[in-house]
Amino acid sequence: MGRIKNRIRRLRFDHDEMTQEELANRVGCTRQTVIALEQNKYVPSIELAFRVAKAFGVPLEEVFQYEDSQGG
Amino acid sequence: MAPLQKRALLSLLIGLAFAIALIVVLLLEGDVTAFNRDETLRWITYAALIGVPLTYLILIDLSLRKPTQLDERDRLIILKSGRVQWLAVIFSLAAWVIALTEIYQEQRQVPVVFLTLIMISTLIISILAQSLGILLGYWRMNRNG
Repeated sequence: MGRIKNRIRRLRFDHDEMTQEELANRVGCTRQTVIALEQNKYVPSIELAFRVAKAFGVPLEEVFQYEDSQGG
Repeated sequence: MAPLQKRALLSLLIGLAFAIALIVVLLLEGDVTAFNRDETLRWITYAALIGVPLTYLILIDLSLRKPTQLDERDRLIILKSGRVQWLAVIFSLAAWVIALTEIYQEQRQVPVVFLTLIMISTLIISILAQSLGILLGYWRMNRNG
């Protein structure tokens, strides 16, 4: 089993310290979901993942990374 | 707290208030057949019958339409809360069947008032259970991810 991690918090700060509220409005979700994403408590749908990447203007893999716990 | 989480908590409290009001009146009357002669009891029951689903409709269904209020994570939690809801309904119906069978076994008939009571209790339990399921869903997601 693997784990999906993300760099949303880092990317927000790199984008003029974008607030969670602002990101939520841009991608069309609640601020609580942004918080859950940043804490790796929720894995988004592919659509939301693409919207987050688009909000930062970066490719998907720059936001989300798959970590294989078996090291493969 | 997510908007849906707040609404679910409010819905749970309102549903509990209706349920407690109904139980208190039934206990004060001491007999469920009071439903036939007590107008207050009937009106509390009718209010619950309409009020509980209306509260649910307004709080959870109608007021959370914008994506910034209700998103995919919330919808996933609503979907999962259905399991808590149907389990609660099945267990409450089983409790009714066992209780009524045991109490009225000798009479071989059950007072008609129980049809209304079963309906109202199922309705209240269904809505309470969904609200509880939603709250549990958030709790689990925040705990386990």
